[in-house]
Amino acid sequence: MIQFKLRQGVATLLLAGTAFAGVPAMAQDSDTLVIARSMDVNSLDPARAFCDTCQFYLTAVYETLITLDPDNETLVPNLAESWETNDDFTEFTFILKEATFQDGSPVEASDVVWSINRLKNLKASPSFLMDGMINAEAVDAKTVKFTLDAPSSQFLNKMSASYAGVINADAAMEAGATAGEDAPETDKAEQWFLSNSLGSGPYALAAYTPEAELRLSRNDAYWGDAPAFSEIVVTQIQDAVSQAQALETGQVDIAMQIDPDTARSIRSDDVTTEVVPSYNFVYIGFIPGAKGMAEVMTPEVRQALALAIDYDGILDFTVGGSGAKQAAPIPNGFPGSAGLTPRVQDVEKAKEMLAAAGATDLKLVAGYPNDNIYGVDFNIMMQKLQQDFAAVDVDLELKPLTWAVWRDELGAGEWPITALYYAPDYYGTAQYVQYFGMIEGFPWAGRAGLETPELVVNPVQADLYAKALASSPEEAEAIYQQLGEEMMKDTIILPLVSPNLVLAYRSDIQGVRYSACCNLPLAEISRK
Amino acid sequence: MTHIAHSPTVAPTFSRRMLTSFRQTSRRLPITAKIGAAILLFWIITLLTIQFWAIADPLAMVGRRLQPPSTDHWLGTDALGRDVFSRTLHGSIWSIPIAIVVVASAVAIGSLLGALAGYFGGWWDSIIMRLVDVTVSFPPILLAMSVAAMLGPGLANASIAMVIVWWPIYARLMRAQVLEVKEREHVEAAIAGGASSLRVLRVHVMPLCWTPTLINATMDFGQVVLLAASLSFIGLGATPPSPEWGSMISEGATRFYDWWIAFGPGMAILSVVLATSFVGDGLRDLFDRRST
Repeated sequence: MIQFKLRQGVATLLLAGTAFAGVPAMAQDSDTLVIARSMDVNSLDPARAFCDTCQFYLTAVYETLITLDPDNETLVPNLAESWETNDDFTEFTFILKEATFQDGSPVEASDVVWSINRLKNLKASPSFLMDGMINAEAVDAKTVKFTLDAPSSQFLNKMSASYAGVINADAAMEAGATAGEDAPETDKAEQWFLSNSLGSGPYALAAYTPEAELRLSRNDAYWGDAPAFSEIVVTQIQDAVSQAQALETGQVDIAMQIDPDTARSIRSDDVTTEVVPSYNFVYIGFIPGAKGMAEVMTPEVRQALALAIDYDGILDFTVGGSGAKQAAPIPNGFPGSAGLTPRVQDVEKAKEMLAAAGATDLKLVAGYPNDNIYGVDFNIMMQKLQQDFAAVDVDLELKPLTWAVWRDELGAGEWPITALYYAPDYYGTAQYVQYFGMIEGFPWAGRAGLETPELVVNPVQADLYAKALASSPEEAEAIYQQLGEEMMKDTIILPLVSPNLVLAYRSDIQGVRYSACCNLPLAEISRK
Repeated sequence: MTHIAHSPTVAPTFSRRMLTSFRQTSRRLPITAKIGAAILLFWIITLLTIQFWAIADPLAMVGRRLQPPSTDHWLGTDALGRDVFSRTLHGSIWSIPIAIVVVASAVAIGSLLGALAGYFGGWWDSIIMRLVDVTVSFPPILLAMSVAAMLGPGLANASIAMVIVWWPIYARLMRAQVLEVKEREHVEAAIAGGASSLRVLRVHVMPLCWTPTLINATMDFGQVVLLAASLSFIGLGATPPSPEWGSMISEGATRFYDWWIAFGPGMAILSVVLATSFVGDGLRDLFDRRST
């Protein structure tokens, strides 16, 4: 947190500096699109990046084989013009379009193979997407074949994630990038990717100043339809209110992180705000594996606590009602979510269950990152939870923590309750099972069980998951619903709010939309 | 202090002067100091009696969220529908006792170490004053943040952090005073009379050294309230749901258009800091003529 705040200060100074240097800040009626955002960039290297800002940056600069239609469900061609899948979902063959990289060289199968191998082998944040991919092969210059070690009907969806963008392999190798199994040691290109880009997308990286500005320029050699703006500037503006002010004064064309409460306070006619449902959600997690909690956070107590929560109230207090409740850790609208019923509050039953479990005078501690995510102030949400628990005589102590401390204490099992958030990387439910499933070795099973995974592991889920991956997307939906029901039964992950997303932009801007894979597709935006 | 009254060698002390000329003193206090004292008195009475007041429960949701000030809720309601006016008044229960504890601890530790350094000199002086130098070489807010971040959030930890930041000031003050007083004749007479070093320090030196410390402590009181609020503001002080002023301002900071959330606690901090400055200035005019 300290470092964070200091960096914020530096960013402010830099911003102030740019004002004096006379860099154009006003973008109206110009060929430049200015976007306000608090950037969370961890890297600009497609195989290392893993952040919300990365999603739309990578989408504009690198292209994936397939992408997601604006309906946020259908997969549509991008660099690949067509693809084939074998019957048991273990082999995927793509035929490439005639496309070129920004330096004019053609996009070939060898580039795709190299990029996807690098994504897998670097063992960086997004590498898990390629788990199970055992062979990538360039059949000819325009045909690529991927082989998996086990069926996965979600492989195509994963290929639409922005991190699976295709890089110009020859140029990248010259810059020190490697794709072999020794890539974690031999790849030296991370720094290079912060000032250069090697994609085939409509835009190219012009300049990046951490915590200040990300500049993109139009790729004049783009093989497809040229995008409307010659330049896009993403400027660092920290909080929702400042973003709204910059939007109202015309300093920026789009503000990406305005919460519904702030959106309601915008009065300018020159600004359009659209509130759309998002696939993001904020949840609390129970950790029975925390110190001394094995006998306390039993399934009965967890279910009683889940019944104590005023879900409608939390929706109202965190986002002023502008959002949706969510049953299981599968976002509303994703396969399997349709048949799930959100939990409801039942204080009397919660009290009965606690009494039956002998859990009187329960004192619990919740440690959570002190942050505001998707417009949800965790402090407000947890204070509401504290009040709900107090109504069933459970005393909840709140520990808002810096991210670094939170991570340490989570791993050490310091407290049995935490709060967190999740946004999708692609359209598909597998990522949620992969992250939240109580399957041995999966992230949340490890977090909740810690030293004693048997406390939380649900053997049914591993079988269901394998079955879902081996089924066609249509058949898989019912299995994902079953998985959702099992995850609800576990009562480890309790989604509290799926906040609506506010698209806020100047009224002369068009083409702004929310994409489940790519956040904000920049190339579609133009000025009226 | 009873020793002082029986000790013929001791010059009139601060405490005695205060007692014997209270009326005269208060007449000579500037009007600003009187206003300051009244504000502090208001806050102290508030914090002692607030639980008997017929105002809203500071932790309960009493109305709709984010309502602007009205006759029902004089300073509006916050994001959880709690009464900001009630929370502001209840905030004194946290902020003021913390300031008292921190200042008292810093004065106790700092004065003791400063007096030892000043009176005994030599390696006592070297060790203690180098420790002081090291501590004051860090920017205070940064040092407090680091210590609080290391210890984890909570007002107890924030208080420890603030004592660590503050004691060196009093060590320096006390050392300078002791260095001056220990050369005086009544001290030499006491030493010649065979009094032990500790007794000389305790009875003949330290009672004469308190004036600057007291003036400084008064002024620092407000600064401690401010630093405690700063630590809470960045999430290193009070934990929710306590209505600590700094954390209330923090809650309001992200809701700029709902100005009333931060207004109450902001005015409360302003009033305390201003009041202690007024009182401190007044005391200095009275006792510390050198600086006027």
